[in-house]
Amino acid sequence: MSPELVDLRPLLAVLASLFCAGAVFAVRHSSRWRAFWSLAAAGIKFALVWSMLPGSLAGKVYVYQFGELLPGVAFGFRVDALGLFFALVSSTLWVLTTVYALAYMRGSHSLHRFFGFFALCISTTVGIAFAENLLTLFVFYELLTVCTYPLIMHDENLAARRAGRKYLVYTLCGGGLILAGMVVLYFTTGTLSLAESGILDASAERAGLLAIFLLLIAGFGVKAALMPLHAWLPAAMVAPTPVSALLHAVAVVKAGVFGILRVIYNVFGIDLLRDLGYADWLAMLAGSAIVIASVNALRQKKIKARLAWSTISQLSYIVLAAALLVPLAALAAIIHIANQAFAKITMFFVAGAIERGTGKTRVDELAGVGRRMPWTMAAFTISSLSFMGVPLMAGFVTKWYLSMGALQAGAGLYVGVMVVSGLLNAAYWLPMIYQAFFQPVPGDEKRDPQHRARVSPMMIAPVLICAAYVILLGAGASAPAMPFSLAEAAARFAFELEVPLE
Amino acid sequence: MIDWPHWLPLLAVLPLVGGVLTPLLFYRLPTAACFWAASIAALTLAVAVALLVRLLGSGGFGYAVGGWLPQYGIELRFDEIGALAVAAGFIALLSLVFSRHYVARAVDPDRAPLYYALVLINLGGLNGFLVTGDLFNLFVFMEIFSVSAYALVAMAREPIAALAALKYLLLGALSSLLVLFSVGVVFAMTGTLNIADAAMRLDASEPMPAALALAGLAAGFAVKAALFPVHFWLPDAHAAAPAPVSAMLSALVVKAGVVGMLRTLELFGGAGELLQPLLILMVWLGAAGALGGALMALVQRDIKRMLAYSTVANIGYIFIGLGLATASAAAGAMVHVVNHAVIKSALFLAAGAIIHRTGLRNIDDLRGLGQRMPVTCFAMALALVSLSGVPPTAGFIGKWQIALGALDAGKPLLVAVLVAAGVIVLAFGIRVINALYFRPPARMSVATATDSPASMWLPLVILAFGCIGLGLAGQPMLQFVAPAVQGLYGIVP
Repeated sequence: MSPELVDLRPLLAVLASLFCAGAVFAVRHSSRWRAFWSLAAAGIKFALVWSMLPGSLAGKVYVYQFGELLPGVAFGFRVDALGLFFALVSSTLWVLTTVYALAYMRGSHSLHRFFGFFALCISTTVGIAFAENLLTLFVFYELLTVCTYPLIMHDENLAARRAGRKYLVYTLCGGGLILAGMVVLYFTTGTLSLAESGILDASAERAGLLAIFLLLIAGFGVKAALMPLHAWLPAAMVAPTPVSALLHAVAVVKAGVFGILRVIYNVFGIDLLRDLGYADWLAMLAGSAIVIASVNALRQKKIKARLAWSTISQLSYIVLAAALLVPLAALAAIIHIANQAFAKITMFFVAGAIERGTGKTRVDELAGVGRRMPWTMAAFTISSLSFMGVPLMAGFVTKWYLSMGALQAGAGLYVGVMVVSGLLNAAYWLPMIYQAFFQPVPGDEKRDPQHRARVSPMMIAPVLICAAYVILLGAGASAPAMPFSLAEAAARFAFELEVPLE
Repeated sequence: MIDWPHWLPLLAVLPLVGGVLTPLLFYRLPTAACFWAASIAALTLAVAVALLVRLLGSGGFGYAVGGWLPQYGIELRFDEIGALAVAAGFIALLSLVFSRHYVARAVDPDRAPLYYALVLINLGGLNGFLVTGDLFNLFVFMEIFSVSAYALVAMAREPIAALAALKYLLLGALSSLLVLFSVGVVFAMTGTLNIADAAMRLDASEPMPAALALAGLAAGFAVKAALFPVHFWLPDAHAAAPAPVSAMLSALVVKAGVVGMLRTLELFGGAGELLQPLLILMVWLGAAGALGGALMALVQRDIKRMLAYSTVANIGYIFIGLGLATASAAAGAMVHVVNHAVIKSALFLAAGAIIHRTGLRNIDDLRGLGQRMPVTCFAMALALVSLSGVPPTAGFIGKWQIALGALDAGKPLLVAVLVAAGVIVLAFGIRVINALYFRPPARMSVATATDSPASMWLPLVILAFGCIGLGLAGQPMLQFVAPAVQGLYGIVP
């Protein structure tokens, strides 16, 4: 058991951006102060979360608890390796997304509302990551729903309202399922703690165990866009691009995936799930979702819609890897939280930059964009290569460990799924890149005096940093201070292994 | 000071006397009546708090009115259920403060002193009802708060007020009759009117009259509590009444019906087998009320009617909890009595503030109001989220405990009912929040509205923060009501 230290930082990390969000609401119409507080929220959070990395790598666990909400269930934070990994990814991306959003949203309406809720979202995401028990996690999970809703509805038109309603119906029903699952879990075990690798044991009634599994996985599966529950995600594309990035790469979908990981590793535990065999169904579901969503992505004509379907497919990687229940696959699941996030957010930033720079939103309009926006499209290329699984890119690391894990678990079929998915990824990303770089700029655009697109450097810089990170995550995965080592620690903890994985 | 024995009768006497004096003293000074009434309510609240402190220190205690021994004279008892008087005083005080500017809109200005008098009398009746240990007194105090409630509904300037009050009166009179009849039966069977004494003498040896009395009391209090299917008086009455009165009716007066049901359960604790069919019925009717009320709330256009139907749903939750008869569910139901009182009074006061400033009560007309009345709308949004039971707000504790109790009792389907009702409640909450914040104004009176005066937003904000605070205080509240639960069904869980 790793040593637990009482530390205020988990609490501060949540409160810092809560306070900043309050300040954003308070300054209302001053754009300078709004930018200041938004960046302060992201920056303070970033510093606090990263400051916990060395300790966590050394095996320390930071805890902070206060007040019992229910008998035996305190409101508490506990920073273990898995939680810190998720928090690191989201708080790092948050800084970049905030910078990007400040440039992208310039001139829009109700900006204090937008940036206020934007800052609240990171607060709740870190709360989810650091939650000591399922109830605390659920509180922040529901708050995240509430906080992202105004962001999806930002445009306040019919399409936005429809998407917002759809999002709410899905996520609230998902929340209801989680609540029901929690009730059954608490009734069965008398605790909701996430501190151990598995609080349930085989002595519980089978029907109850199945109910808990179905309710919790389906509940978290909504936000994780697990295949039959994914319909809200493509619809939510109407939101402004920074919000799409937030929904698809950082906060919302990852919160769902993180919940699934918690359910598999900390609520059930590997051994129990292996005995029960429920995870095999989950793996099959996720495996087919990977392929079906990729095929759907192929058919999309809008850039952001294609990205959305690709997200659905990529998230299923994580679920599949977790459901395989072997250490190497677990490593793939955790590391893919970061890999997918950085690659996908790059793509969303690029899509937004293209939209702001040239006004194009469709796949077939991309001809010649690579010449007008060379840096941006280069970043896009890097992330596409990552998704295809080209070595030295982040995505390769995932595919490698996932395939190894599949073999370790004796499910060679999923190696085939990896290959097919890589090919499908190539089939929908490469034509876009080809068009952008190798097709001539249409004649009428050439005559346009604003031929070279003008995009604020505040939008380009995050794109390039994220793209660089995609390479770093792939090429330098085993460098000492990289998140990879943390993911490995988390995977080891889930399997209660003492020795390094390899 | 705290041990001074005569605090307990003051709890009821103070507001009753203060109420009766109001029209006499302030006939020509309607504006001053508000200060008077608020001061009386504040004093009553102080008395209730003093009693609560004593209760926390030394457990429940009694008071023999006029020095007559309990079995012969009238006994007042202050226990964990009676401690609801603190919530009653608190909400009445805030409603009275809120009324300062609202009353001119709500009732004829000449009748303002009468309005304050009735609110105080209502509070006195409620307090008496909560602390009396005597069956006949229970009936008398019930009549006091009921009759003042009918009059308060009828006073409103809404077109349907008189009809709604008549409906309320007819149903209320029927329920009073049933209760009176049953009190008579109990007296005939046991020869005593003291609840604790009668509870010891009642057993299942004479099932027929005992069952009759139980059915009468249960039916009577179910009407008062607006349990489905005898809830149909409630939406009209609560929607038509002036907003502060709606707050008191939904928060406190229907809860008195629940308290009556709790007293009934105490009374018949010795005849456990008689209670079983009633408990099963309570669960079923509660579940139907929870789902039906939530669905009816979903389709309402008028904001106050929507809130009224949500009261029906919450009463359903409470009855599910009481009917399950497990320790966790009953404790959750009791805590939900208080938590729902705070949430719902926040909502009705917020709706009142909106109606006062814009004259609008149709949800679709309220579009864009969030920009114009930020404090009021924020309180409303917070209370709506709390109503749906999102943790860590006040609405969560009761639902969680009741769901646990459902599993304890081996009824997992009830968990699905609770969750589904919660999601529906959240759905209509979101509908209101959408209208307030994410739609452009459709009405002139919204575009020109300004936020309510301090006498309105201050009570609102206090209640809205109560929605969060009570959610965080779930554990101490559950511990506080635990002794009361043990006395309920004649079982020690």
